[in-house]
Amino acid sequence: MDFLAEGLRRAWDLLVTGDSEVYGIALLTLRVAVVATFVACAIGLPLGYFLATRRFWGRRAALTVVNTALAFPTVVVGLLLYGLLSRRGPLGGIGWLYTWQAIVVGDVLLALPIAAALSAASIQGVDPRIRRTAETLGAGSWRTAWTVAREARFALAAVITAAFGQVVAEIGAAMIVGGNIRGSTRTLTTAVALFTSQGDFGMALALGFVLLAMALLINVALQVLQGRGSG
Amino acid sequence: MVELRGIKHRYASRVVLDLEQFTVPRNGALAVVGHNGSGKSTLLRLLALLETPTEGQVWFDGKLVPRRAPPALRRRVTLVEQRPVLFRGTVRENLEYGLRLRDVSGSASAGIIGDVVEQLGLQPLLERRRDELSDGEVQRVAVARALALRPDVLLLDEPASSADRAAAGALYRALAAERAARPFAVCIASHQLEDAYRWADDIRALAEGRLSPVTPENLFRVELPPGDGVKKIRVGEVDFFVMTDRSGPAVLAVPPTDIFVSKEPLAASARNVLAGRVTGMAVEHRGAGVHVRADVGSVELVAAVTAEASKDLGLAPGARVVFSFKATAVQVF
Repeated sequence: MDFLAEGLRRAWDLLVTGDSEVYGIALLTLRVAVVATFVACAIGLPLGYFLATRRFWGRRAALTVVNTALAFPTVVVGLLLYGLLSRRGPLGGIGWLYTWQAIVVGDVLLALPIAAALSAASIQGVDPRIRRTAETLGAGSWRTAWTVAREARFALAAVITAAFGQVVAEIGAAMIVGGNIRGSTRTLTTAVALFTSQGDFGMALALGFVLLAMALLINVALQVLQGRGSG
Repeated sequence: MVELRGIKHRYASRVVLDLEQFTVPRNGALAVVGHNGSGKSTLLRLLALLETPTEGQVWFDGKLVPRRAPPALRRRVTLVEQRPVLFRGTVRENLEYGLRLRDVSGSASAGIIGDVVEQLGLQPLLERRRDELSDGEVQRVAVARALALRPDVLLLDEPASSADRAAAGALYRALAAERAARPFAVCIASHQLEDAYRWADDIRALAEGRLSPVTPENLFRVELPPGDGVKKIRVGEVDFFVMTDRSGPAVLAVPPTDIFVSKEPLAASARNVLAGRVTGMAVEHRGAGVHVRADVGSVELVAAVTAEASKDLGLAPGARVVFSFKATAVQVF
């Protein structure tokens, strides 16, 4: 138990003294998470709406694929992406391996199924008469989609939170395609793994607290937004 | 105004609507009556340009509507569905929804909303949200939301199904006032024939997705035996004599205007003579005719008579009555 107490003390010192390495890692993690969540939701939410509202050949198969992708192991995604981005890989030319952009791509691949599958389920939960009513009043496709999304806003906010949670807590892909390079691609999760393996529990705990605080802040912010839009 | 030509509309492989021709005339008031599942709602969705018929054409204002009707054209028709829903937000925000889509805002929007709110008595509900309204109030708001858009064609699917008689009356009066101020076409689907007779210029009956020659009360689904000539067909607990060469499943239709109403059985050529009691009376919207509903041996039939004939015969609910019609008057389809 002593090492835990010592770790907590160390974590507190690092956080209150504004340790530049801790805050650097936290900022990079936040940047990666925000960009990846935004991209995943920008693609995943419309895809979810499409899967929920359109009847087309192969829809059931598409939903099965998206739902299966929810359980994709992060290291497998990292491995596949590594193969694509490595110098000999088909996308090696863009030079993204071991950059924060590579981590974003990996995180998008992991968060996209969450955004698509859960938003499809959320939209399916909206009374179908809402969509029909918007159409009867003259709404075009985009306006109709917006009207339906407004009805499902609580569920969709939960989808965004879940996607953010996946991205911010993910380690496999970040480790493989990011490389955990100090000052460049070291994220909170990869750093926690590294410092734990080095026996620096204080640093690992400090970063763990930052990770928890970040998740908490994002959730509180989303809840405040939901509260403002309620009614 | 809106015309359907050669329509065959299918869901999966089942034909749900089969119409040679159906027109909602410009500024006309049309009622479509029929039982649940007769195809009324599908018909309204086709007229609202929200669905494309599997086969056939839709014409609007003399022009062929493309397979995917452009929003500008769709906005000239508005449909209020049966069991309508309101969007999240207040009644006022709901009334503004369609106006905003048409770039009407500010004082213009407030003026239009003020008019419909007054006509439908919605003033006390304006700032309420959908979960604070009864079903009847939601229905009235939905009609107001459609009226505010001032469409060329207004389609209403059972608009008074959740309203009490007083609210339904207010709704029809508001429609009449709005049409007097600004003519537009209305097509209402209803199973309440009395309402339809009271205000519609023209009534069409739908049965099994097809236009029926008579109103839905006098429609009977039967199985016809093979052979030609006059057939005795069991309907409920009475027998109908029908002249037809058709066999197999069919619908029998007895036009209300082809039924003779008398106090005693007539010595006449009519093969169908059915005695019973009057169960209801409905005055037609022009006041000249009366629809007499009678229970004749477990079957309910409606006959159309003039107001004078009804008075002479002393027809009233509970009165004994005899309905007579010829075997050739029964239509088979």
